[in-house]
Amino acid sequence: MIGKTSRRKQILMFRWKEYGLGYLFMLPWILGFIAFVAFPVGWSLWNSFNRVYITSEGFQYTWVGLGNFKRMLIENNAYPIILLTYLQEVLLIIPLILIFSFFVSLLLNEKFPGRGWMRALFFLPVIFATGQVIMELFVQGAGELPFVSQYNLDVILRQYFSAGTSDMLLGILSKAVIILWYSGVQILIFIAGFQTISKSVYEAVRVDGASPWESFWKITFPGMLPFMGLNAIYTIVDLFTFPFNPVMEIVRNNMFSPTTGYGYASAMAWLYFLIILVLLGITLWLTYRATKGRGDVR
Amino acid sequence: MKLVEAYKQVKLDITETLANRRTQKLRALVFGQNVKDGIIAKLFIISLLTVIGFLYVKPILYMISTSLKSVADMIDPIVGLIPRELYFNNYKDAWKGLSYPEAFLDTMTIALFGSIFQVFTCALTGYALARLKFPGKNLFFFLILVAFLIPPQLTLVPLYMIYSELGWINTPFVFLVPAIFGQGLRGALFIIIFRQFFISQPKALEEAAKIDGASVFRLFFRIMMPLAGGACLVVFLFSFVWYWNMSYEAALFLSKDFTPLSLRLSSLQMELMGNKAVSFSAGLGQDPISEGPKMAGAFLIIFPPLIIYLIAQRWFTEGIERTGLVE
Repeated sequence: MIGKTSRRKQILMFRWKEYGLGYLFMLPWILGFIAFVAFPVGWSLWNSFNRVYITSEGFQYTWVGLGNFKRMLIENNAYPIILLTYLQEVLLIIPLILIFSFFVSLLLNEKFPGRGWMRALFFLPVIFATGQVIMELFVQGAGELPFVSQYNLDVILRQYFSAGTSDMLLGILSKAVIILWYSGVQILIFIAGFQTISKSVYEAVRVDGASPWESFWKITFPGMLPFMGLNAIYTIVDLFTFPFNPVMEIVRNNMFSPTTGYGYASAMAWLYFLIILVLLGITLWLTYRATKGRGDVR
Repeated sequence: MKLVEAYKQVKLDITETLANRRTQKLRALVFGQNVKDGIIAKLFIISLLTVIGFLYVKPILYMISTSLKSVADMIDPIVGLIPRELYFNNYKDAWKGLSYPEAFLDTMTIALFGSIFQVFTCALTGYALARLKFPGKNLFFFLILVAFLIPPQLTLVPLYMIYSELGWINTPFVFLVPAIFGQGLRGALFIIIFRQFFISQPKALEEAAKIDGASVFRLFFRIMMPLAGGACLVVFLFSFVWYWNMSYEAALFLSKDFTPLSLRLSSLQMELMGNKAVSFSAGLGQDPISEGPKMAGAFLIIFPPLIIYLIAQRWFTEGIERTGLVE
């Protein structure tokens, strides 16, 4: 009887020793997560419902409930408009990057002399996509596609679209090359994705008489859908620190503004986060829908 | 008679098929059996990629060419991408305006140490998630994914409050301490890379070491880490480059005393204007006097990562495939 319990104890001890090692390895990350993610997120949520003052004794909070959000959305509605404009841009940028990187990776996946150099070339911008450098290049007009001014595209666009839409389209076109600079990692992910489709499938359908066009749409494209989803999510995350993302700067300005402060700035960040969450949710749902019923869902 | 005719017929057939085969071979070489592997298709792919690639790197070429232009070349509309003479004074101005050596050291401190810390902690965490058994592992993995998806904008305000309470603003601690605890720039992504790498390693090695009585620590530092050299290099390179290029977080936490290169570019113009009293604007932010030095400054900023890229290019482009991030 005694032997049995002590044996069970031993097993438990042994098991917890193993668990303990696991937690020990995780410890730095757990501490970091609490200190630099969980706690800041919680505090930021608390801030967003408060008006935060800095006094000599530290921070002073006054509960305002949804007051910050109300001020932002109704009283001074500049921020929601900026957010919506940026969201529209993002909704255009994501397909732009996805289609471009898919197309380029499709070409880079073929065998031809100098492929390594070409891959290196298309990855180059990831190396020095410094925010300030990109801003400078944009200001100097270096990010424009050559045909925009050549064919007077602005006049044509203004004829067919409303002022707001054509302004946005022109804004995107004026920095198109720089936007495409954000597709380096996506190209790599797509190329890696192509390797997951086995060669024998292509051979099999060729024997069955499928044309390359058919085998692309029937095999390559469906096989790449999960990677489309992955890349869409990566692009959304990458756009957080996109140099043309206005949110970071607005939050920063409002943090130090005497009329708004930390609470208001936090509320702004939360509004942005909610929109991003919706976007991420839609992306995940679409990816799930597109790959449903297939075995190899990631 | 009939026999001879039949023989002739057969011979003709053979030569015909042979000729046919030769043309077929030639056709296969030019057009390819698979549409995609003929010479024409390859030439088409190469030329298409060259055109796209040229458009893609044109801003960089523009940067380099502008940085080497004198003011006279800048104003002259005839001068295109190639300046009439190489003019290096822009670099002199930019070097001084950026206080390059000092800024280089500041940036290097963050990028180098931040990356080393990140490699270490992310490998540790990734290994635990891949190989060790403990309750709540899936929850932790989920939290890592969440941490990846949370925009930095959300935590900026409270982090600024925390750091200013601790007196870390304008010191490298704001980036180095989170890196030690696995929360550096895109740390979550690196943890996922390490996790995938360790999962793909064969288990036999570990079991053998365990039977020999090696502790988990020994196993990790003596066997798994050396094995993970490739993954470590990839994570280090990416982390280094991203820290080097980071400008938004830096703009909030580092504004004076300790300033990385990326931030000094925006103040370069003011510095230049202070030096040169004469200034005229050609409109639309294009100012021929400061444009050259600014582009020279931009090039000076991207130069160190560019050198690293030229050396380690293979690991960058193969990195994601090798570590099996996509699986």
